[in-house]
Amino acid sequence: MSLKQPQAPSFVHPAEEMFARVMDYYGVRWIYEPRTFDLEWDANGKVTLAFTPDFYLSDQDLYVELTTLRPQLSTKKNKKMRLMAELYPDINIKLMKRREMRDLMVKYGLYDQAEHIQGTQAQKKAP
Amino acid sequence: MKIDSLTGYGDFARDIQEIIISEDQIQMRVQELGAQISNDYRGKCPVLVGVLKGVLFYMADLLRVITIPSEVDFLAVSSYSSEARTQGVVRLVKDLEIPINHRHVLFVEDVIDTGLTLNYLLRSLREREPESLEVCVLFNKPGRRIIDIPLKYKGFDLPDRFVVGYGLDHQERYRNLPFIGLLKAEAFQNPHHLRECE
Repeated sequence: MSLKQPQAPSFVHPAEEMFARVMDYYGVRWIYEPRTFDLEWDANGKVTLAFTPDFYLSDQDLYVELTTLRPQLSTKKNKKMRLMAELYPDINIKLMKRREMRDLMVKYGLYDQAEHIQGTQAQKKAP
Repeated sequence: MKIDSLTGYGDFARDIQEIIISEDQIQMRVQELGAQISNDYRGKCPVLVGVLKGVLFYMADLLRVITIPSEVDFLAVSSYSSEARTQGVVRLVKDLEIPINHRHVLFVEDVIDTGLTLNYLLRSLREREPESLEVCVLFNKPGRRIIDIPLKYKGFDLPDRFVVGYGLDHQERYRNLPFIGLLKAEAFQNPHHLRECE
């Protein structure tokens, strides 16, 4: 149920496509990467760091960012989330961590996809 | 709570790492919620609506501590899965039998995590124009929420862990445990008593 999406989006990661399908299934309207937020600028005012959340859920006025990176690679994303909170305090954004993504897939019986997400020592322990 | 106290549960005990919420705690909280609902809905004869199957235990206990006239009905819906996704959207497997237009409806839910199913169902029920529509959830997992939903009555916040019991299942098992327990990782991956029901 993509909003104002001129054509079917090309998802960067299979987890994004899965998330979109789950939203469609439950009738939640979404747009894929509809807006980029500028976060840092150089001395000339040129943007040096920006953030494009994966989804916007229009009825909830909520941006959702999915984490598919391994924890040690997510430092940059955490920095972006911190800057988002500082620079755009009125924007609602939810960061779905790897574990949440995996649990979501398990919840909906997508065990193969969950396994795909799993892949690190940090995530192997828990359900 | 130590798992030693679960010896009566046989194989179940082997799969539970820790009791998160005891049977006594659950029953006490259900009584409090029942008293509050009885007070708030006096003279309104609410319709309590639940979604099968997880809500069975909570609904049964809650109804028995509500001291005002009320009615009960159930819905059943399909969940998202590899098979279900080909059907496109949530499918109502069982609809309500009681008409709810102009009635005070209390949506009773055992657990809310992402809020996706509840959001869908509340939207569907609102279209039937009830006089009021509120949510009464026993177990809340706020850490997993995607869709924010106002909860008028709430029992407990649960940690973002895989828990079972009192209606909550893993592959349809463990619902009949009278407490909320943390499922061991190895049981999650390879529950040793699943064979018993096959």
